[in-house]
Amino acid sequence: MNRVLLFRAMLASLLLLFTSLTMAITAGGNKEIKEKQVQFTPSAIEYLQWMQQAYQTKNYEIIYLSSLYKQPEPMQLIHGVVDGQEVSYFRYLNGGIRESIQYAGKISYFEQGTPGYTLISHYNRHVFANVANFDYQKGQQNYDYVILGKDRIAGKLSIAIRMISKDEYRHSYVIWCDLKSFLPLRLDTLSPSNSVLDQLMVVSLKSYEKVNPWLVKLTQNTRPEIVHIRESSTDNIPQWKMGWLPAGFTVVKQDQHKLVMNESEPVSYIMLDNGIVNVSIYISIKKLALDESQKIVRRGATVLYTEQRDNIEINVVGDIPTITAKKLVESLVLVETSDN
Amino acid sequence: MTEINEQLSSLIDNENVESKPLDALIGNKALQATFSRYQLIGDVMRNEKAINIDISEQVMSEIAKQPALVTVTTIKATTVEVVKPENNVISFVKRFGQYAIAASVAGVVVMTSFITSSPSIENRGIEVLNTVPFGGGVSPVSLQANPLQSQKALQDRHERLNALLKDHQLQLQVKK
Repeated sequence: MNRVLLFRAMLASLLLLFTSLTMAITAGGNKEIKEKQVQFTPSAIEYLQWMQQAYQTKNYEIIYLSSLYKQPEPMQLIHGVVDGQEVSYFRYLNGGIRESIQYAGKISYFEQGTPGYTLISHYNRHVFANVANFDYQKGQQNYDYVILGKDRIAGKLSIAIRMISKDEYRHSYVIWCDLKSFLPLRLDTLSPSNSVLDQLMVVSLKSYEKVNPWLVKLTQNTRPEIVHIRESSTDNIPQWKMGWLPAGFTVVKQDQHKLVMNESEPVSYIMLDNGIVNVSIYISIKKLALDESQKIVRRGATVLYTEQRDNIEINVVGDIPTITAKKLVESLVLVETSDN
Repeated sequence: MTEINEQLSSLIDNENVESKPLDALIGNKALQATFSRYQLIGDVMRNEKAINIDISEQVMSEIAKQPALVTVTTIKATTVEVVKPENNVISFVKRFGQYAIAASVAGVVVMTSFITSSPSIENRGIEVLNTVPFGGGVSPVSLQANPLQSQKALQDRHERLNALLKDHQLQLQVKK
């Protein structure tokens, strides 16, 4: 009898031991599954690419603010896809009516009190368009993408992703995307020292299955007269050459034209592009000598850097760190015409 | 010929509208060209800068397209026709201001008055960060500089920077 009892006790203890073991094993298994699930959650670049697709293909209306303004300036963007084409309608919500509509390679501007006009433009420059049209795969050479965590923007659960420049020659960004629609909700531009230079923030986002019928109606209206930009000459160029470009940037345009505001002044012009920001470089004849203190002007993410060499003046305009502008100017060389 | 030209000139200046030069104008292509050139000269003198000299050819072709001119009233119509291509050019010039709107409408701030605003630090929002310390630059009057001169220089510089920024925005918008 005793033996039986003993056996039972042993069996019980063994069972106990086993159950705890099996429990441990199942617990371990659960952990593994959980880890796998974590691995299956999208990577930062996947979120960014979804954001990109959402921005280009969805029908939505956003109301947003920019921190750049002296007073918060509410603006609205209505986006839709009509017959497979993107249509973007933009307006300021306060003050006089200022609005624009872009579709089919043209952008028309309307302002209270002045006749509307149209520019030929294939380039979307609306809010978030720069991050929504960036090639993130290619961009990995110069940026790291890191998920910062979840947040709530405009009442929506969002994910914050940081796009960090690998060197000091370009700004970094933090992009917040709605976790439901993946549309961008906020964009901070950070300096290399991590201070916020510029902030765009959505306060209201509505996305729809179907395109806004009013937007469709807008595309059927006749547009105001097209204003042509004076043809720029490409004769005798390039005389100026960039000796250095920050990684990822390429020269996309080089010409000689006259400044729109100041027709009498011809400038040599070079445009750089890295898919997210554009930099303009102007070379002209020096008119007035500048103090050292007047050479760098910065507002938000935009820098306007001036350098004078003998009788010429070089201006760099763009959303880049000052050091980049300085280095770009230093690398600029005059190429002998015989080389061309 | 010169006399008729003089009369044409006065016609443009709305001084002496006689039927004789008008008749001469109707009949003579060279005179029509002269007439349109005079118009151009007048525009230039009135400081409408961006006159494209090639326009005289456009004017001629416009005139060529016109049916035969018979009465003075038709001449008026022609005058309108003659001026029209110029109008396009002028409106283009006048529209320069609108490129500022183009930039601002696109959601990008054109940094107007950001140079002049730089000395007043209380101007919050318009954040001007001069990475190089201002030093004596803050004080409006320095020892050597004539205050009026520096004011003018500052304004010139401000205008130029604005022109550059607007051009930058425009170049981006029309980028291919």
